[in-house]
Amino acid sequence: MSARPSRGQRLGWLQFAAVVRKEVLQTVRDPSMLFMLIAAPLIQGVLFGFAVDFDVDRVPTAIADFDGGSQSREQLRHLLADGTLRRAAAVRSVGEAKELIDRGGTAAAVVIPPRFGSDLLAGRPAEVRVVLGTDPNRAGVAASAVSRYFDEAGAELARERGGRVDEKAPGSVTVTPQMFYNPRLQSAPYVIPGILAMLLVVVTTIVSAMGLSREREVGTLEQVLVTPIRPLPLLAGKMTPFVFIGLLDVLLLLAMGCWIFDVPLRGPLLVLFAGTLLYLLSTLGVGLLISTLSRTQQQAFVGGFLFVLPAVMLSGVITPIRSMPAWLRAATWVNPLRHFQELARANVLKGAGFRDVWPQLALMAIFGTAIFTIAALRFRKQLR
Amino acid sequence: MRERRIRLARFTVRLVAIAMKEVLHIRREPRNLALALGMPVVLLLLFGHGVSFDLDRVPLAISDGDRTEESRRLVNAFVSSKDFQAVPGRAEDAQDLFLRGQALAVLVVRRGYASSLARGETGEAQLLVDGADAVTARSLLSKAYEITRSASQRRASPASAGASSPFKVKVSTLYNPEGRSAVLFVPGLAAYLVAIGAVLLTALTVAGELERGSMEQLFASPVGRLEILLGKLLPYLAIGMFQLLVLIGIATSVFDVPLRGSPVLLLAAGFLFLVGMLGQGLLISVLSKNQLMATQAGALSSLLPSMLLSGMMFPVENMPLPLQLLSRIVPARYMVNALRGVMLKGNGITTLWPDLLALAAFGVAAVALATTRFHRRVA
Repeated sequence: MSARPSRGQRLGWLQFAAVVRKEVLQTVRDPSMLFMLIAAPLIQGVLFGFAVDFDVDRVPTAIADFDGGSQSREQLRHLLADGTLRRAAAVRSVGEAKELIDRGGTAAAVVIPPRFGSDLLAGRPAEVRVVLGTDPNRAGVAASAVSRYFDEAGAELARERGGRVDEKAPGSVTVTPQMFYNPRLQSAPYVIPGILAMLLVVVTTIVSAMGLSREREVGTLEQVLVTPIRPLPLLAGKMTPFVFIGLLDVLLLLAMGCWIFDVPLRGPLLVLFAGTLLYLLSTLGVGLLISTLSRTQQQAFVGGFLFVLPAVMLSGVITPIRSMPAWLRAATWVNPLRHFQELARANVLKGAGFRDVWPQLALMAIFGTAIFTIAALRFRKQLR
Repeated sequence: MRERRIRLARFTVRLVAIAMKEVLHIRREPRNLALALGMPVVLLLLFGHGVSFDLDRVPLAISDGDRTEESRRLVNAFVSSKDFQAVPGRAEDAQDLFLRGQALAVLVVRRGYASSLARGETGEAQLLVDGADAVTARSLLSKAYEITRSASQRRASPASAGASSPFKVKVSTLYNPEGRSAVLFVPGLAAYLVAIGAVLLTALTVAGELERGSMEQLFASPVGRLEILLGKLLPYLAIGMFQLLVLIGIATSVFDVPLRGSPVLLLAAGFLFLVGMLGQGLLISVLSKNQLMATQAGALSSLLPSMLLSGMMFPVENMPLPLQLLSRIVPARYMVNALRGVMLKGNGITTLWPDLLALAAFGVAAVALATTRFHRRVA
């Protein structure tokens, strides 16, 4: 640029720098605030990473073996060998198994009736019963593990007995799976980027909304008003520290994810940072908007919570968007969390670059600019 | 004896006075009250519909290189189930499809599929799967296995298929035969939303009075610590119980969650749980210097554990041991267990007494701690 910045522009930058300096000092001097912004997200990240174990193996299963013969013990041993089901208890009656499921410790029961061994030897179909609890996810896994095992064992046995099945079946159908990105099917690498999206919105939206309402409530905002500072530098100065804290949180959580949970980091980090900046534009914009709508901190908090909770639950972070009804799926388009978690997961796990995630970036940019502009206009109006 | 009765009467009068004062506070902020009552209802309706792990409409790209009747039959078996949804795409672009989230799996049938089946050999197809989301990938695989199994069975003559297998597996499901996620989640969500309301409202009330300085005036009066805290607790307890009733009503009417057990037991559990959560909110409020800290402490110490460690969404049994131990001091865990027990399984007090006992213990402990840490002093 050839023209020198005008006096007004220079003044604006000075004011901006002064506000940033004040905010940083205020934050650094309050250790509890610093803890909240940096340590709390890390603790939550570790907690979530360990707690959200969707690996539905090791399903605790009660085993009732009424046969007790060598055949049934052999089959049970093979059934439990691959680790999908875990023997949680050996019970002596179906009632006892149901009681265990009632109490919630076990998710399923496998019952081998008496005469299992003799039926098998006599060539009669030997019956195996599976009793399932309430959790559909784990019930499905347990049921399919048992039927799959006995299918295969049955085919094997039939082959040994003289290949009856293979002769009669005119060719069977198989599908060979090939896993991309996550061959061992671990859940933590997928969970961590989602948590990143969730923690960023909690930290930036609620803290910025409450911080500004607090200044209004306590009256320090009024003191600032009597100074010659203008709204734009004031606002930018108040928001900048949050942007840096947000980026720092991203770095810390990713480092922790790599270190503890084997998160791969396959994509260019630059894309993730660009995404984070646009995402923060949205979350801080919402925080600012909430603060302009509330008179007290309590209202700001409730408002922040009212945004954050549905935004998290309906973002695909915890449960897939696919499973929602059509009207809810349509509503998730305006949820910046949805786009950020898609971007972060595609980037970190699959190596997605600008070419692949530009729609998410564009949507976050549109939403962020819109909400921030509305909020900034309201904020300016209130300052006058 | 008489002395005691007088003291009790005075205690009650002061308690009621504080409770009335709190009711006035609440009534003067009708927006907060509307939020506190309306929010959980809206959230339950939203989440009950939206929160589900069911495998639905998985976008599946099809690459049929065989183009025979046999291959089309296999493709149809996948596409006709409501779990999969056909999307355009080719096997060569699998990586790109996964990257952009346009497909989660690609079914590849190579040339020669039908002819190997005709020769009596195994017809092999390939399924390329985006494994990033391990949960979906797993259920997708078991679905694919089911589909091919029934395809194989259909090919074998129906009579021989049943007879030739030496094993017969019979599956029965207790309580939730349709396997709907909502039946499992909604009771847990109800408990969670009640907890949120309770902790948030109380965490802010004492901290707010301390911050604004109005607590000083209360200290100048003859009201005791326990009376202040219990008085503040009572109105919120009433609101919470009302809310619980509404949420359970929604669960049974909108989401068809059965109510198999005794409603009285349900309310007893809810009462104990609420006392505990409100007590925890008061404790947070007493300990933190201002509202900002109170909310963050509340979020960190109750909202997060209630969601993560209660078993509401993620089974506690799958967690590492330290987290399982930690979950034992989370009251929501007992509440979720009791709610599911009463509603889905029709459990009685004989099964659920440990949960009720834990809830009661937590409630007493929380109120007692809050009272001892609450000093009638101006900082």
